[in-house]
Amino acid sequence: MNTLIPAPDAIPVSWGYFKFLLMLTFPLHLILMNSMLGSAAIALYACLKGDETSKRLAYELAKVIPFLIAFAVNLGVAALLFLQVLYGHFFYTSSIVMGAYWIAVIPLVLVAYYSAYLFDFKFSSLGKGAVALVSLSLFIFLGIAFLFSNNITFMLDPEAWNVYFAKPAGTSLNLGDPVLLPRYLHFIVGGIAVGGLFVALVGKMKRKMASDVRAAAENIGMKVFTFFTGVQVASGFWFLLSLPQDVIRLFTGGDALATLIFIAGFLLALVVLAAGISRKVYAIAVLVVPLVYIMSFMRDSVRSGYLKPHFSPESLQVLPQYSPMFLFFFVLVAGIAPVVWMLRKALGSLPQAEEER
Amino acid sequence: MNYPVWYLPEIGGGTLIALISIIHVFISHFAVGGGLYLVCAERKGLRKNDGAIIDFTRRHAKFFMLMTVVMGGITGVGIWFIIALVNPAATSILIHNFVFGWATEWVFFVVEIVAIFVYYYCFGSMDTRTHQIVGWIYFIAAWLSLFVINGIVGFMLTPGVWLADGDFWSGFFNPSFWPSLLFRTFVSLMLAGVYAFLTTAYLTDQRLKSVMTRFSAKWVLSSFLAAIPCGYWYLSTLPNQARSLAEGASPTVRIAMQYGLYTAVLMIAGTLILLLVKPAWHSRPVSFLVLASAFLFLGSFEWTREASRRPYVINEFIYSNSIVKMDLEKINRQGFLKSARWVSQRSTTEGNLLAAGRDIFMNQCYPCHTVGGINNDIAARTSFMDYPSLLNYIANIHEIRYFMPPFAGNETERKALAAYIMKGIHGKSVQFTEETPEAVEEKGKTLFETHCVLCHSEQLVKEKTASWDRKKIRWSLDNLNRLNSSMPDYTGTAEEKEQVADYIFSLQGGAR
Ligand code: HEC
Ligand code: HEC
Repeated sequence: MNTLIPAPDAIPVSWGYFKFLLMLTFPLHLILMNSMLGSAAIALYACLKGDETSKRLAYELAKVIPFLIAFAVNLGVAALLFLQVLYGHFFYTSSIVMGAYWIAVIPLVLVAYYSAYLFDFKFSSLGKGAVALVSLSLFIFLGIAFLFSNNITFMLDPEAWNVYFAKPAGTSLNLGDPVLLPRYLHFIVGGIAVGGLFVALVGKMKRKMASDVRAAAENIGMKVFTFFTGVQVASGFWFLLSLPQDVIRLFTGGDALATLIFIAGFLLALVVLAAGISRKVYAIAVLVVPLVYIMSFMRDSVRSGYLKPHFSPESLQVLPQYSPMFLFFFVLVAGIAPVVWMLRKALGSLPQAEEER
Repeated sequence: MNYPVWYLPEIGGGTLIALISIIHVFISHFAVGGGLYLVCAERKGLRKNDGAIIDFTRRHAKFFMLMTVVMGGITGVGIWFIIALVNPAATSILIHNFVFGWATEWVFFVVEIVAIFVYYYCFGSMDTRTHQIVGWIYFIAAWLSLFVINGIVGFMLTPGVWLADGDFWSGFFNPSFWPSLLFRTFVSLMLAGVYAFLTTAYLTDQRLKSVMTRFSAKWVLSSFLAAIPCGYWYLSTLPNQARSLAEGASPTVRIAMQYGLYTAVLMIAGTLILLLVKPAWHSRPVSFLVLASAFLFLGSFEWTREASRRPYVINEFIYSNSIVKMDLEKINRQGFLKSARWVSQRSTTEGNLLAAGRDIFMNQCYPCHTVGGINNDIAARTSFMDYPSLLNYIANIHEIRYFMPPFAGNETERKALAAYIMKGIHGKSVQFTEETPEAVEEKGKTLFETHCVLCHSEQLVKEKTASWDRKKIRWSLDNLNRLNSSMPDYTGTAEEKEQVADYIFSLQGGAR
């Protein structure tokens, strides 16, 4: 038993509810985060390419990126909340061990966010500045992802926490962990792939965009998607093989469920790749959502595998009080109604707005 | 002690929390009141069929969206990041007890951002009735967010019955819930008007500028007046100790209160009257002045609320230095270093006194004291003490200064801490002076230096007592708290009091 692991607090309802909520919200966060990352990357590419169609595509993407950031952050908050409930004692500790870097995430997001808005609102007058702004956002996103990878690998490895005593100001990163790089790469490459899909979808679905822009979006989006998904399958294997032996064993028969998820994920990835090559945008979109969920389940198995010697959520003490949870479910359902209503009204009135401009 | 201490000796985690929260508090309150302001301003424009007002509202909505969704949203996440880094134990308690409160608040957050996006992006293209409803949805969701957060923030200062039953609802609807909710509601309306001054100051159309400035000024003044009684009601629900802290027992709190509150009240009232009578005088400097004073007002309220929670993060439950009150006895028994997880030394020995003292300092004092920083620098605070007086101070730290948590640990650990501060930080000697005959004779002086020069210089006492006779001085030693409410009574024996009285009397040149 590692003596540095803090004692956890009790939870109000059985741990399964939190696991469910975590596994529900985290993949949604991933999808949005990926779309944001991919859109920024493709917008940068389009800006650099510089022909008229590409420029207009970049502008279309500029308009959606701020929304993607807003909802990526929003869903990230939900996932972070449930993560803290189950794994807070690991997560807080790893955050402190890299505290100086971790807090930097906040100003970095702010800068990326405002430059995304500038990129949108001032697009027409930016000229060369557009490349600078969207690169700034993109590189910040990549940097933040790196910090997240650091924190999550740190969190899973209490043995690594000893670096704290040499650097209590939180200036350590988990660079010594052989899993860090493949893990980071796997998330980035996958993110850009899904982002490509998102851009292709924008091209397919935004009817009021000019047809050459739509075609360009679909074309480049699908190319990015297919290429990066191919790389992703490879990087996935690298990631898997870099994991500690006990964790790998989970996926090679050690744990029936984990193995099943792994096989399902692998097969689905191949199907998605094939669909990418034949450019079936809607089919891919329908398949990628379960794929992201499956990958998140795999990721969860990895986490359980790492933490097994130290902790499992089943061991958390429950001091039962269910009424606040029922209130939450009630508010969640009640909250969906106005959101749907507003979105329908907005979609009904937006095309007009476009014509007025 | 359960968690590592993120140690930035010159800055202090508290400073970082304050920095992020101040920004967030100003924007999040604006995010609530501003919603109502937008709806009302739009309606005014619609009623009067005044396109200029509607156009103003649209531009203000853009500013509002950029401010609240981006700055407000991200600094909100920032608060989570920073409190988890600085106060992980307390954050964990808040998360685990109120997880479904936070989750519910998150739903309102979703509704809020969808609503503000629809409101701004469909301004002018949506039919006005639907658009107004969207504005209302925004405001209601934002206010409900405030409702939830208010419960949890209030819980930290006045946990009330939760301490006994640990029940979500007792913690949520805690004793300060309603006054604080009302106060915050009015403050958020006030801020909405104040931020609108910023936008109106940039208007070039003089007629519109005058109309909207008046409109905003009335808005600010009425909500400000309504906030004042709520503030008093709020203060009256605080537990005694917290209230006396809020009312100024700690010198710095008192100063914050005075500067913050009075200047803000004066400036706001003055500027607004000016604007109501003569809107044309409104300019950018004026708007920044009003904004600054509104910030001071809210800032001093929040600062005082934070300060009056001391020495706790969650009142009567967990101290600012992450020690749970209930565990104190156990820690004293088995020693702090043995009870803590994240210390480099597991016990005190002759050789590691300074290293052990540093561990203890980082865990128990650093939460409120920097080393060589601006904010509550321990070096400056202890500059006039020596090793024996500090040792004694630490033993009674909570009794002398209620707003500091009691020292947790055993006798040698206390020595290690005092040694670290005296030798490690000041480089002073940590020897006890020999009890020579002269020293015994100087007992009064030693006692005085140990117990009295902690808070004020010898000079001050000399001046204040210049006209007193020996009898009054002796009397005062039984009544220090009556003389000044932030001075604790002196707990020495009758014999020691005689010696101290002799010494003070001798300061004026009086004979013993
Ligand atoms: C909860 C916060 C808090 C903690 C924890 C804390 N202090 Fe303080 N301390 C304060 C504040 C606030 C002041 C200054 C009050 C003022 O001037 O308004 C202070 C002042 C002091 C002073 C100056 C003397 C005086 O009475 O004004 C000394 C000495 C001191 N602290 C020592 C310590 C030591 C040693 C520790 C650790 C065992 C410690 N403090 C822990 C908040 C704290
Ligand atoms: C915890 C801090 C603290 C300690 C300890 C303390 N005092 Fe004070 N004392 C104060 C403060 C604050 C004042 C008000 C200073 C001022 O008016 O500027 C004060 C004022 C005084 C005054 C002037 C009272 C008056 O009528 O204006 C005297 C006399 C005095 N202290 C004596 C003592 C003596 C003797 C001791 C030691 C037994 C002592 N103090 C210990 C905080 C303290």
